[in-house]
Amino acid sequence: METILSVNHLNVTYVNKSRRVMAVRDVSLSINKGDSLGIVGESGSGKSTLAMALLRLHPKGTEITGEAMFEGKNLLTISEKEMNELRWVKLAVVFQKAMNALSPVHRIRQQIEDIYRVHYPKASSAEIRERAMELLKLVNLPPRVYNLYPHEMSGGMLQRVAIAISLLHHPQLLIFDEATTALDVVTQGQILREIVEMEKTLSTTRIMITHDMSVVATTCNKVAVMYAGELMEYGMVTDVLTHPHHPYTQGLQRSFPSLKGDNRKLESIPGFLPDLSKPCQGCVFAPRCPHATERCFSQKPPMFKTGESGGAACWLCEGEENGK
Amino acid sequence: MENNAYVEIRGLQKFYPHKDGKIFRKPGEEKPLVKAVDGVSLSIQRGEILGVIGESGCGKSTLGRLLVRLEDPTSGDVLIDGVSTAQMLKKDPKHFRRQVQIVFQNPFDTFTPRDTIQKILLRPLKHHNIGKDTEERLEIIRKALEAGGLRPAEDIMSRYPHELSGGQLQRISIIRAMFLNPGFIIADEPVSMLDVSVRAEIINMLLDLARNHNAALVFISHDIALTRYISDNIAVMYLGRIVEYGSADEVIRNPQHPYTRALISNCASVDPFETREEINIEGEPPTPINPGPGCYFAPRCYMATEECFQKYPEPVDLGNGHYAVCSKVNCAACGKCNPSNSNA
Amino acid sequence: MKRFFNKTLSALRSDAQLRVGVIGLALLFLIVIFGSVIATHDPYFYGPDSLAAPGQNGHLLGTNHMGQDVFSMLVYGVRTSLMVAITASMISGVLGIIIGGAGGYFGGKVDVVISELINVFLLIPTFFLIMLIVSLFGSDIRNVMIVIGLTTWSSNAKLMRAQALSLRERTFVKSAIALGETKLQVLVKYILPNGIFPVVANTTRGMAGAILTEASLSFLGLGDPNVISWGQMIYQGKQYITTAWWITAFSGIAVIITVIIFYMLGDGLNHVLNPKYSQGGK
Repeated sequence: METILSVNHLNVTYVNKSRRVMAVRDVSLSINKGDSLGIVGESGSGKSTLAMALLRLHPKGTEITGEAMFEGKNLLTISEKEMNELRWVKLAVVFQKAMNALSPVHRIRQQIEDIYRVHYPKASSAEIRERAMELLKLVNLPPRVYNLYPHEMSGGMLQRVAIAISLLHHPQLLIFDEATTALDVVTQGQILREIVEMEKTLSTTRIMITHDMSVVATTCNKVAVMYAGELMEYGMVTDVLTHPHHPYTQGLQRSFPSLKGDNRKLESIPGFLPDLSKPCQGCVFAPRCPHATERCFSQKPPMFKTGESGGAACWLCEGEENGK
Repeated sequence: MENNAYVEIRGLQKFYPHKDGKIFRKPGEEKPLVKAVDGVSLSIQRGEILGVIGESGCGKSTLGRLLVRLEDPTSGDVLIDGVSTAQMLKKDPKHFRRQVQIVFQNPFDTFTPRDTIQKILLRPLKHHNIGKDTEERLEIIRKALEAGGLRPAEDIMSRYPHELSGGQLQRISIIRAMFLNPGFIIADEPVSMLDVSVRAEIINMLLDLARNHNAALVFISHDIALTRYISDNIAVMYLGRIVEYGSADEVIRNPQHPYTRALISNCASVDPFETREEINIEGEPPTPINPGPGCYFAPRCYMATEECFQKYPEPVDLGNGHYAVCSKVNCAACGKCNPSNSNA
Repeated sequence: MKRFFNKTLSALRSDAQLRVGVIGLALLFLIVIFGSVIATHDPYFYGPDSLAAPGQNGHLLGTNHMGQDVFSMLVYGVRTSLMVAITASMISGVLGIIIGGAGGYFGGKVDVVISELINVFLLIPTFFLIMLIVSLFGSDIRNVMIVIGLTTWSSNAKLMRAQALSLRERTFVKSAIALGETKLQVLVKYILPNGIFPVVANTTRGMAGAILTEASLSFLGLGDPNVISWGQMIYQGKQYITTAWWITAFSGIAVIITVIIFYMLGDGLNHVLNPKYSQGGK
């Protein structure tokens, strides 16, 4: 398998007048061509910060260390010009609120043409139209959408338009940042299904950033679980969501009821997110962990291998790794 | 409809004038109305949790606001223990407020930002004459906070709302509602703004309310899995009307109305192995401006036939209190013509 | 209390305009309090030196045609200006908050009447109205203050109405109603305290307007002859402007400085109190 993006020891620190918030701490992960990786976490887990840093859309004054290799280039150090060439063409993103991403006073047609011509200034309208029609069909939208204004469309249609625009240049990597969160159940379900369907023909690689485990369960093959800026566990969706190794993932799993399965008692994870402006010795999850020992508070657990392709940053998995 | 129900909702309607910008109308032309809630009748027992699900704009939140009388219904009434709330509100509004309480969606906005938790919690106690002096009221607050897992209570009481987490604030919101010892509680999307890991404690707190304090609870949510978890019965709403009602397990595991089926089939599940039928319905719910005369769902329905557009269907009894408002539902229940086949 | 103090300090540190305004206002108040000490002469005393140039015969800024000491008049004029500013804008602020708050919160017919009233008051040329009333009812300084207050509340009311309109949709207002608090209690305990700050900032800026209005009235000869006011000094000095420029010049500068101080204060308050500007907890 060819690795398309590999993130190594990424740290993102927001610097503010009075404090430094370490929003992402020492995160390393990689994604292979054709994979769909779900990054799940609660608010404050650093999942969106991670995406913003990869796309270089973070606020000014943010400190970033580490590397993110994409096609032999480090996304974190290349020039702004190089980054602009990558965005849309090789690296595309869909945000939660498409209505904010689309200009309200221009027709969809104009916006698609503008974005297309950023990279192919000489493209004819007919050529762009042809490509757009192809994409609108792919996201289940009627051709008439091409001539509409954003306010004439519903939230679900707009989100589909945003997905279509992100696919304009056949990007190698697609990032969905809570792209379906604001939608209703039925619309979300249908769009998620379309995304999965679409990829059968397009062979794109996708990162899905969400707080919703069920979105990951239905659309991804790999998952990375983040908590308080750190990576807790990663692996195949089928492994991690059915047999989580990390106590945090286990806790999350117990907080989600099953749709049709048996009604087991829901449990929450006691305690709060730690203060991210303070350095943390040991495991960040230890104060809320039911299995925490003294060692967890003093020594940060490394990523232990779990199963064939998974990993969990927890001392509990140390023995497991040796056992295998 | 049972007569011994604790809460009885009778034909509740709420219409809003639709602002279409027209000042002059043809003679005889009716003003368009948005029918947010269009004739909802339900009954809830003490100790029962009724889940109300539906997409945004289906009228479930308006229903909640009508039940606590943050808005007045266009017509219809709610009876608590056989007493009309409309009359209760006229005669003794404080009594009504003590009987019916609500937990809101946004815990970060439920408390006035300028006061401490102590001041915020003292206010309803004073207003309803609970406890004889401030000393006693503070003791009540302290005990309630500690029982709700908010320790140390003194510390919480001295805080301002923005210094607490969403989970803590939502627990305080439930505690405050409980001070008045209400028999009927509405929870309008109480966990949708909270992080997953703290949802369960709120859900379990609400469960405790219904089970141990014998309150009737309406749980309004768009989260189907969560609603099934907490509810005894579930009502599915579409464009202001209830399209299906029944015990939670029945409605989710064996949905009969085509809308419920579509809703459940599109609901993402945490279980990566769960198999689901695929039902696609067109578009998104329209604004309910003068809908009908046929079934409101017919324009999007994959089972709709000519007759569905003619007349609004009658509820069809499916046994054990389960009913669906659909003219095709008998047909679906007999199993001879499985509707999922007709949707390829 | 300590919290409030800390907040005030950090607000002062963060906003330069507010700092200038607060220091300026403090200086004005000091001048009012120690006026009799600072003033070199009795401003009401008609001295023998008429139209003395600045520095002549111990008159720091000269004298006017009646021989009054300009510097001392300026010092006593602060008193009039502050009194007009504070009283007039208090009246306008309180009226605006109550009327606008009630309109926005109660809605319905009350709001229709109130918002039309606000529109009418915003439309009519207030200065002309003030002139009319003052010339009809006499130019006693109390009249002037009340009239300015009664005619300028509409912009405050408009602001407060908008605040109340958005506040009444907030969850904490709904929850207060659900807990059984009456409409009046909700208005007084939740709507007014949470919506008042932009109005406070606007009222402070209104003080600058009140000072200008009073000066303008005096300049037109509609001032109270029994008090010393900068506007009147300009009015009286204007016929000697070629021979004794100091009378109009220094009183003009005094008006400008005071107006700027109040404007800075209002703008600074707006920055600090407006949730759009303030960071962190509301």
